[in-house]
Amino acid sequence: MVWTVPTALVFAGLVVLLAAMAVWGRISPPVARRGFLRIETDRGDRLYIGLISAAVVLAGWIAVTDLSMWLALGCALLVALVIGRWG
Amino acid sequence: MSEQSTGAVQADEPRPALKRKDNRAWWLVLPVVVSVAFTAVIPLMTVVNFSVQDVFSPVDRVFVGLEWFRSISRDPEVRAALVRTLLFSAQVLLLEIPLGVALAVVMPRRGLGVSVALVLVALPLLIPWNVVGTIWQIFARGDIGLGGWTINNVLGVNFNYTLDSTDAWITVLLMDVWHWTPLVALLAYAGLRSIPEPYFQAAQIDAASAWATFRHIQLPRLRGVLTIAVLLRFMDSFMIYTEPFVVTGGGPGNATSFLSILLSKIAVGQFDVGPAAAFSLLYFLLVQILCYVFFTVLTRSGR
Repeated sequence: MVWTVPTALVFAGLVVLLAAMAVWGRISPPVARRGFLRIETDRGDRLYIGLISAAVVLAGWIAVTDLSMWLALGCALLVALVIGRWG
Repeated sequence: MSEQSTGAVQADEPRPALKRKDNRAWWLVLPVVVSVAFTAVIPLMTVVNFSVQDVFSPVDRVFVGLEWFRSISRDPEVRAALVRTLLFSAQVLLLEIPLGVALAVVMPRRGLGVSVALVLVALPLLIPWNVVGTIWQIFARGDIGLGGWTINNVLGVNFNYTLDSTDAWITVLLMDVWHWTPLVALLAYAGLRSIPEPYFQAAQIDAASAWATFRHIQLPRLRGVLTIAVLLRFMDSFMIYTEPFVVTGGGPGNATSFLSILLSKIAVGQFDVGPAAAFSLLYFLLVQILCYVFFTVLTRSGR
């Protein structure tokens, strides 16, 4: 599978994230609510939407500008956080 | 995952005595997990790894970071193919969904006609994709194909899908409508058949017109099946490959080279696995978003 360190980190991060969400769901079950997205979501839904939105920010960034991708990563994480907290 | 856990908690609350659960049934999910890992997750990881490297051979490879994503997302050919594919999917949905529903409404509901209609409608679905392509490749030809010959010599319209890009587009679109409208029709027919008779009796008592009955009884009750139909038809048309590959090969020029055709050209034609992997991941992201939006809009708008 010709692994590289960055891709391994990304996948490890995803696995840790999913495991953490499972444990968190066990400790305090998620509650569905409505945020600025106007649809009923629980924290798992918002994580999914947040990750996809982060990917969109990254893809859009690389498609239109040559600015640093670290800046893009910052924006993407911010978007994911905002969606996770208030979405 | 999270929805399941909420459901379990709600079901548990009235009966705390049953709290101690035997979770061994979860082992039954293991075969699915293993097969999905083998057929989807591990290949996806491979694609992700390819997308950040220039791979010459398994031992001879260079890490290039996000370079392939940059070049693919700015490639004019890729962008043109994306616009083409979105346009094609939109046209497919706009044609097939209303046509399929209309077909389902006029299909007979009892008697011998039911079986005859069902078999006739389902016929195109039984034909493999490449055969559908071959059928239309010959059918639409101006010299020996019935369809193409009729358009050229009876209607007097100059139609040649190997030379004219509009004709090629129309041929591929018509082929998809011919192949897949039956799926929408069968789904809608099943949905219509599941509406209880009293609804129609009530409509009759109110002297509702056929249109009012359709608009206020049949169409709302079709929401579920139409969700599935829209999702299936969208994903299938967005990933369409075999039929245009057989009929036009993406041409003339690149008039019908959709994303999948361009992608396979890069991946297996030029064997540029790095750019092809970046391309597939961006393609995958798009499919994810569009499917999630469709699904959310169609399933949650009622609430």
